[in-house]
Amino acid sequence: MIEVHNLQKEYLDEETSTLALRDVSFSIKKGEFVSIMGPSGSGKSTLLQILSFLDRPTGGTYTFDGRSIDEMTDRELAQVRNRDMGFVFQSFNLLSRLTVYDNVEIPLLYSNIPPASRPALVEAAVNSVGLEEKLNTEAGKLSGGQKQRVAIARALVTGPAVIFADEPTGNLDSQSGLQIMDILDSLNKKGRTVILVTHETQTAEFANRIVRIRDGKVESDEPIAAHRASGSLK
Amino acid sequence: MLIRDAFKTALRSLMHGMMRSVLTMLGVVIGIASVIILMSIGQSAQDLILNQVQSIGSDLIIITPGAPANGKFSPPASAQGIIVTSLKQNDVDALQREPAILYAVPEVRGQADVVYGNNIVTEGYTGSTQDFFLVSNLAATAKGQPFAKSDVDSGNHVVVIGPDLATTLFGANVDPINKTIRVKNISFRVVGVLGKSGMGAFGVDIGNLVVMPITVAQTQLLGTNFFNVIVTQANASYTIDFVKSRIAFTLEQNHGIHDSNKDDFNIETQADILSLLGNITSILTLFLAAIASISLIVGGIGIMNIMLVSVTERTREIGLRKAVGATDSDILKQFLIESILLTSAGGVIGIALGAAVVGIVYEALTTFASIGWVFAFPISSVALSLAVSGVAGIAFGIYPARQASKKNPIDALRYE
Repeated sequence: MIEVHNLQKEYLDEETSTLALRDVSFSIKKGEFVSIMGPSGSGKSTLLQILSFLDRPTGGTYTFDGRSIDEMTDRELAQVRNRDMGFVFQSFNLLSRLTVYDNVEIPLLYSNIPPASRPALVEAAVNSVGLEEKLNTEAGKLSGGQKQRVAIARALVTGPAVIFADEPTGNLDSQSGLQIMDILDSLNKKGRTVILVTHETQTAEFANRIVRIRDGKVESDEPIAAHRASGSLK
Repeated sequence: MLIRDAFKTALRSLMHGMMRSVLTMLGVVIGIASVIILMSIGQSAQDLILNQVQSIGSDLIIITPGAPANGKFSPPASAQGIIVTSLKQNDVDALQREPAILYAVPEVRGQADVVYGNNIVTEGYTGSTQDFFLVSNLAATAKGQPFAKSDVDSGNHVVVIGPDLATTLFGANVDPINKTIRVKNISFRVVGVLGKSGMGAFGVDIGNLVVMPITVAQTQLLGTNFFNVIVTQANASYTIDFVKSRIAFTLEQNHGIHDSNKDDFNIETQADILSLLGNITSILTLFLAAIASISLIVGGIGIMNIMLVSVTERTREIGLRKAVGATDSDILKQFLIESILLTSAGGVIGIALGAAVVGIVYEALTTFASIGWVFAFPISSVALSLAVSGVAGIAFGIYPARQASKKNPIDALRYE
């Protein structure tokens, strides 16, 4: 589903250049749950941005479902983000003045799904995160855990193949964080690919594979079982 | 993104900041209301003037001394303060012999103190013949009667005055008939008071008119032997254009002119006057509307300013929308529609406000001032205002909308 080969990302300003990613290569199959871990500044967020089509690499190749990012226009990237990708952010990024329904509906506004089909899709997505009774509540009035569940419903509403989650538990207490990870885990078990960026070991353990990044390079890429066996998750 | 969804999204954004939206559109409201009010008042003034000119009668042809403007937008020489002496009694006599002309009425004009007892009023006066009252539709008097041909021929010191002047000089309870007033220190006996007041042709204040035999005005008040204007009434059996050509022919013969480009007189039909007045008032109205539109520009800049602030405030929202699939054009569309909705709503409110003010002005003028003000609310000004407010929305919204659409989603999502 996802294949990156010798991926590079270089940031240039007037005087200096910074290589945020260098020679990153790996692949992710459909239905995998992958955690990308690394210390601050390691390049894990940059990698997620490129994998989720929010940014383009400056070197190497990236193919998503057999199509190279280099062959796609910005409009096509936006279409793929809308149709095949869902996003869960650390800071939720909900529009607090809108209701849960309206927030979850946002990706549908940019899709080809006809307006008449939208209410059912929104309600199904909200139900799947257990917030059906909050459908008409303003997002700003929800707790942190509820907000992130709304964000997950928004990520699911177009039925994407892959969900990108960037530190989804970073702003939550441990119990709410656990609930969010349970939801992501159940989504993965139903066949969705989940790619998670985190620096929390406990969160990363929900994945079946961990890719460690350090100084823009892949330091390790091993199944969770190997990490558990070596005790590297402690 | 469907246009319907873009409208819904934009409307929702505006509704959430209701107070800000209202204050933002205030500039456009005032601008559009000003344009509506001035265009309406301009149209009313134009209608009023044209109605009054038309009320003189469509068969009148006015001859003034001095060369015609030859199509240039300029008043005749006599109206510019230049003394032109080309119209004289022999011209009137020749015109009266012309079968195509019913009346040829000469007029002279001046200004002097009009005195009765201790009451002194400075007024314009007109010297003319007995036919003046016929061609001016002033033959029906409220009191007394117009002076007669014999008064003109004999040079009798008689005057007919307007009803407002009669009240000013004599008060409401004194009958002015046969009372003596002094005009430029010359005594005149009042023989008639006109039956109507208001504004007449060429801005003449009928209510304060002083009309005396032309023979007296020329010899004793002005000391001249020429006329300021000759008003002719066409014979209904002939077309106005034909009569006009006959007048030109007659006067050219009288003045020994062989080249019509060298005419020393100017002939204007009512259609010419209406066209000239129409042009003047239209230009004046447009000029006023142009001044009013400055406030519209100021309002538009205010909208651009607030839209730019809004774009900055909603940077994360823009980042989110782009992340979940919005294209640059979707974001541009959303913000542009917000701007157009703001200016259009401002336009509609401005039109309503303008209409209300125009209605109040109309009521006030017709109730408290006795002028024949016409209620005019030109549909063209409404259409123009709506179009201008919509275009202003695009013109002043495009820059903020472009700024929004060009935001990088990653930077936008990180914005604090």
